[in-house]
Amino acid sequence: MWDFHVRSLDASTILTIAALSELIGQRAGILNVGIEGVMLFGATLGFIAAKITGSYLLGFLVAIAIGGLIGLLHGFFSITLGGDQVVNGMGIWILGFGLTAYIGYPYTGPLGMERIPKIMGLSPFFFVGIALIIITWFVLSKTSLGLRIRSVGENPSVAEVSGINVTRTRYLSVITSGMLMGFAGAIYSLDYNPVWNYNFIMGWGFIALALVFFSMWNPFILLGGSILFGSLWQLSLNPQLVLPGILSRYVWRMVPFAMTIIVLLLMSTKWFRIRWGAAKPEALGQPYVKG
Amino acid sequence: MPMEGIKRGDTALEARGITKRYPGVVANDHIDFEIKAGEVHAILGENGAGKTTLMNILFGLVQPDEGEIYVYSEKVNFRSPLDAIDLGIGMVHQNRKLIPAHSVIENIILGHPRAGNILNLKRTGEEITELCDKYGYKIDLKAKVWQLSEGEKQVVEILKALYRGAKILILDEPTSALAPPETKKLLASIKAMTRDELAIIPFITHKLPIVLTVSERVTVLRRGKITARLATAGATEESLAKEMVGREVIFRLERVEVEKGKPILQVENLSALNDKRFLALKGVSFSVHEGEIFGIAGVSGNGQQVLAEVLAGLRKAEGGKVLLDGINITHSSSLERWQMGVGYIPSERVEVGSIGDFSLVENVAMNYYFDDDFAKHGIMDHKKLRKLTQEFISEYDVAAPSPNTTAKSLSGGNLQKLILARVISRKPRLLIANLPTQGLDVGATEFVQNKLIQAKKEKAGILLISEDLDEILSLSDWVAPIYEGELMGIFPGGEAKRENIGAMMAGLKQKVEVI
Amino acid sequence: MKLGNYEVKLEKRLELTAWEAATISILAIFVALALVSFIFLQAGVNPLTGYKEIFTYAFANPFGLPLTINRSIFLLLCTCAFIIPIRAGLWNIGMAGQLYVGALAAFAVAFAFGAKESHSLDLSPGIVIPLMMVAAALGGAAIGAIAGFLKGRFNTNEIVVTMMLNFITFWLVPFMIKEGGLFMGASGEGEGFKLSSSIYAPLIMGVPFTIFIALGLAVLLYFLFAKTKIGYQIKAYGLSPAAAKYAGISSFKIPLLVFIMGGAIAGLAGYHYFAAVPGVYKITKNYGDFGDLAFYGIICGLISQGNPLAAIPFALLFGGLTNGGRFVQGKLKLGFGIDYALLGVLMIILVAFQFFYRYKIVWMKTEKEK
Repeated sequence: MWDFHVRSLDASTILTIAALSELIGQRAGILNVGIEGVMLFGATLGFIAAKITGSYLLGFLVAIAIGGLIGLLHGFFSITLGGDQVVNGMGIWILGFGLTAYIGYPYTGPLGMERIPKIMGLSPFFFVGIALIIITWFVLSKTSLGLRIRSVGENPSVAEVSGINVTRTRYLSVITSGMLMGFAGAIYSLDYNPVWNYNFIMGWGFIALALVFFSMWNPFILLGGSILFGSLWQLSLNPQLVLPGILSRYVWRMVPFAMTIIVLLLMSTKWFRIRWGAAKPEALGQPYVKG
Repeated sequence: MPMEGIKRGDTALEARGITKRYPGVVANDHIDFEIKAGEVHAILGENGAGKTTLMNILFGLVQPDEGEIYVYSEKVNFRSPLDAIDLGIGMVHQNRKLIPAHSVIENIILGHPRAGNILNLKRTGEEITELCDKYGYKIDLKAKVWQLSEGEKQVVEILKALYRGAKILILDEPTSALAPPETKKLLASIKAMTRDELAIIPFITHKLPIVLTVSERVTVLRRGKITARLATAGATEESLAKEMVGREVIFRLERVEVEKGKPILQVENLSALNDKRFLALKGVSFSVHEGEIFGIAGVSGNGQQVLAEVLAGLRKAEGGKVLLDGINITHSSSLERWQMGVGYIPSERVEVGSIGDFSLVENVAMNYYFDDDFAKHGIMDHKKLRKLTQEFISEYDVAAPSPNTTAKSLSGGNLQKLILARVISRKPRLLIANLPTQGLDVGATEFVQNKLIQAKKEKAGILLISEDLDEILSLSDWVAPIYEGELMGIFPGGEAKRENIGAMMAGLKQKVEVI
Repeated sequence: MKLGNYEVKLEKRLELTAWEAATISILAIFVALALVSFIFLQAGVNPLTGYKEIFTYAFANPFGLPLTINRSIFLLLCTCAFIIPIRAGLWNIGMAGQLYVGALAAFAVAFAFGAKESHSLDLSPGIVIPLMMVAAALGGAAIGAIAGFLKGRFNTNEIVVTMMLNFITFWLVPFMIKEGGLFMGASGEGEGFKLSSSIYAPLIMGVPFTIFIALGLAVLLYFLFAKTKIGYQIKAYGLSPAAAKYAGISSFKIPLLVFIMGGAIAGLAGYHYFAAVPGVYKITKNYGDFGDLAFYGIICGLISQGNPLAAIPFALLFGGLTNGGRFVQGKLKLGFGIDYALLGVLMIILVAFQFFYRYKIVWMKTEKEK
C-alpha cells in the first residue's frame, strides 16, 4: 500500500511539472495546447540520449534543451508570426506525436540502466516539483518579473506602454515553459516508467492542460489537483490494490480520462465561474500586434 | 519629483513641422505646436482630424515621417513610448491603459525602473500616498482596478504618470467618460498640477466648454492641418466649433412631435447580472410608446449595457417582466424577439454588430437569414440579399466598393450606417439603439440621428442609450438618468434640466419618482 | 528588406482567393516532402527514388492502388468529420474515439443478428448493412454529442474533452473484443469476431460502395456551407460567437449540431475501415493505427481551408503517401513509421504556412535614386 502511494506521488510529480510549465506560459498569455507533443519530444530524445551515452544527466539536459527549442518554435509562431495559438499548439502536438513515433521506434523497449536512486523511498523529482511550485508562486506574485509576466498575459498593449518588452517577456515565459515540459517528459521516460513505446505519454499532456484551467492559475491548487490525478492514474493501473476484482482492467483505464471531463464540468458551476473569470489571464490565446 | 531647474514659462515641449502620411491620407501635415511649463494647451479636432496620430507621435507610439520634437529645448527622437516616458512625458489614455485584474499599486509600479527585482509594495505605497495628498486624490491602493469607477481609473493613470516623473502630461479626451462632479475634481487637480509647473495637453473632440474652462491656449486641427491657434480668453464655443468643422454647426436638432400611440415596450421591475455576476440592473421600470424616443443617459458601466442586452434577449433577466405589445417576452430568445419586431443596434459594432470576415451581403443576412423570404426551405437567397445590400449601400451612402467587400475593410461610420440600414429596414416595432453615434464624426452622427428621428415618425418606439447628454436631451421625449443599475427618475425631454440630469448620472441626487 | 533593385515587403492580405490558398497549400506539401526526404538520405536512398517508389506503389500498383483508395475514403470521411466543427471554430480531434464507437456500434448490429455465432450465417444484406451504417453513424454521433453538448451548455474546452473521449473509447474497444469481451473473435487473439460473408459491403469494381458515401458527403457539405441557412449559421458562429448570438443564432445548438454531424461521419469512417474494406471485416488488433491515421483528417481539413471539395484530392494524396510510405519502409529498409514522421512534419509546416494565409510577400522594384 505504501508502495502505491509512493508511485502515485511519482506520477503526480510529472503532472505537477507539466501543468506548472503550461501555467507559466499561460500567465504570459501564451496557450500551448501542444504540451503533450513537447512532453513526447522531451521523453523520447531524453530517453535516446541517456541510452546512447549512459548518462541520466545528459538525458535530462537534452530533454530540457529540446523542450526549450519547441517552446521557442511555439513562440515564433505565436508571438513573432502572430498566428492562432490553438492551431500552433495542435501543430506542435501532432509534430511531437508523429516525429517521436518515428525517431524513437528503434529504441523501443526498456532503458536498461540502473534506476535513479530514491530519497526516503520517493523519487528525487518529487522534491524538485515541490520546489518548482514554490519558486513559481514566489516569482509570479512577489517579484517584478512576475508582475511583468502577469501583465503581458492580462493586457500586452498596456504592458507595452508601461515600458515592458512584451515580446521578450513572452518569449522568456514560453521557452521556460517548454523547457519544463521537456523535463516533465524526461522524468516519465527516465524515472517513472523507463520503457520506450510510441505515444507513451498517453494523454498526460492534455490532462495537465485541464489541470491548469482547473487550478485557476494558482500553483498550489495545481499541486493539489496533480496529486489527485496522479493517485487516480496509479489506481487505474492497479485497481486490485484498493478494490480487488471489481470491473475489467480496461474499464479502470478509462477512469482518469472520465474524471478529467468531470473536473472540467465542475468548473462550469457558478461558484467556479465567478472565480475563474476573475483569474483567467485576459489576453490568453490572443496574438499581440504592436501599436 | 524631477522638477528641479524648471521655471514657469520655459518651453516644455515643441513640435516642428510634424508630418505623417498613411496610404491615401496625410494624417498630420506640418504641425507646429508648443507648450510652456505650467500651461494647459488644448488640441481640438474632430475624429479623423489627425489628433490621435499627433498624440501617438508625441508619446512615441508612432514615428513621424518628417519633423522634429524638442523636450525642454533638447531635440529628441522617440523610438517607443518608453523613450517618451523617460523624458518625462506621461499619457492618460481615453481607453484606459490599466490592467483590471491587478491592484492599483501594481498598475502604478508596472514597468517602473525603480520597482526592483522583489516588489517593495510598502515603500511604493507611501510614495504614492504622498502624491495623492499633494493633488487631492483619494484612492484605495489595494483595490483591484476593475472595482473602480471611470473617474478613479483616470486618477490611477494620472498617478502612474506622475510616479514615473512626468513633467508633461497628455490627456486623451479627459472628461469623456466622467460624470459632471468627477469632471470638476479633475479640473481642480489639473490646476494644482500646473501650479507645480507641469505642462498639460488635453486632446478634446466634443466638449468645447471644457476646453474653454481648462486651457489657456487652443490649437485646432482639421484634416491633418492646423486651422487655428488661439488664446481661450477671446474664444467662444461657436468660434471653436467653426474652426473645427469648417462651417457653422447647428447645435440643437429639431425635436419632432409625433402623436403618442400605444405602449410598445413595458418593463417592470427588471433586474439582471453582469459578466462578473454582480447585480448590475436593479429593478428598473419604464415604458416606451409608439412614435417616442425614450433616452437613457448614463456614464458607461452603470447597467445600461446590461439593460440593452436583456431587452435584446442576449442576457438572462434575474427578475421582473418585459412586455412587447402586451406579450410577455421575458424568456423569449433573441431570435424570437427579432421576429416579433425588436431591432437592436449594439454599441460594439465591430465585435457584436458585424462579422469582419463576412462580406457585406453576409453581414446584411445577419438580420435576414431567418426570414422565409430570404431563406426558403433552408436555402439562402443570395440574389435577393445582394440586391438588398446594394439598396442599403446607395440609400445610406455607405462608402464601399462592392457588396462583396468584407466588413472589416469599412470605416466605423460606414459600418454603423450598414448596421443601421439593416436593422431599421426591418421596420422594428421597438428599436434599441445603444451608443449609436459613439466615435462617429459630425457628419455621420447627424445622419444616424436623423434616421432615428425618421424611425420615430414611422411610429417605432425607440430606446436610445447614450453617454452624450446633449444628444439625449435634444432627441428624447423622455429622459431617464441611470446610475448603478437604477433609473434616477423619468423626465419629459423638453423640460429636463441639463444640470439636474448630469447630477443624477453621477448619483448625486436622490432618486425621484416622477411618473 | 532590400535585394538589389527590389524591395521585399510583407503585406497583410485583405482577401485570400481560392487560387492563392491552393498555391500555398501545395507549396507547404512540397516543403514537407522535402524535409521528410532526410529520412531517405539518412538511409542512403535517393529521395527521388524513394518518392517514386511511394507514388508508384500507391497509385500504379494493382495491390497498392486499392489500399490507397480504401485509405482515402477513410481519410475523406475523417476530414469531413473535422471540417464541420472547424467551420464553427471548434476543434474535433476526437475522430478516433468517434470512429471506434462507430465501428463497435456497427458490429453490435451484426452481433444482434447472430453474426458472431457463425461466419457462414446467411443474413439479408439489404437490411443488415443499412442498419450497421445507421448504427455506426449514431454511435459516432453519440460520442461527438458529448463534446458538443458540454461545449454548448457549459463552454467546456472541446479539445480536452474530445481527446479524453479518444482515450476512454480506446480502452472501450479492448473491453469489447479482448479477454472474454462480448465481441471477442473465435480465435481469441484479441480481435473482434469476423463478419459473415453475406454482409460484406458490396464492391463496385473492387472498391467498397462507401466511396460514394464519402464523395457524396463532401459534395453535400460543400452545398451546406455555400447555400444553406444552417451552413450560414455555422459559419457565423465560427467567425464570431458574439455576433452570431446577436443575430439570434443559438450558442448551444450550433456546437451540439456540428459535433453530432462530425461524429456521425467519423462513425461511418469506422464502419468503412472495419466492416467494408476487403480482407478486414473485423475490428483488428491494430485498431489504434486507424485512430492515429484519423489525425491526417486534421491536416487535410486545415490544408483545404475547410472546403470539403478541396479536401478530396488531398485525401487521395495523403491516402497514397501513407500507404506508399508503409510499403517503402519495408522495401527500402527504412525506419518504421514514415507515415507518422510525415504526419508530424506536414502538420508543423502547414502551421508555419498559415502565416501566408494572412500575409503576402510583395516584390517592388525600387526607384533609382536621382
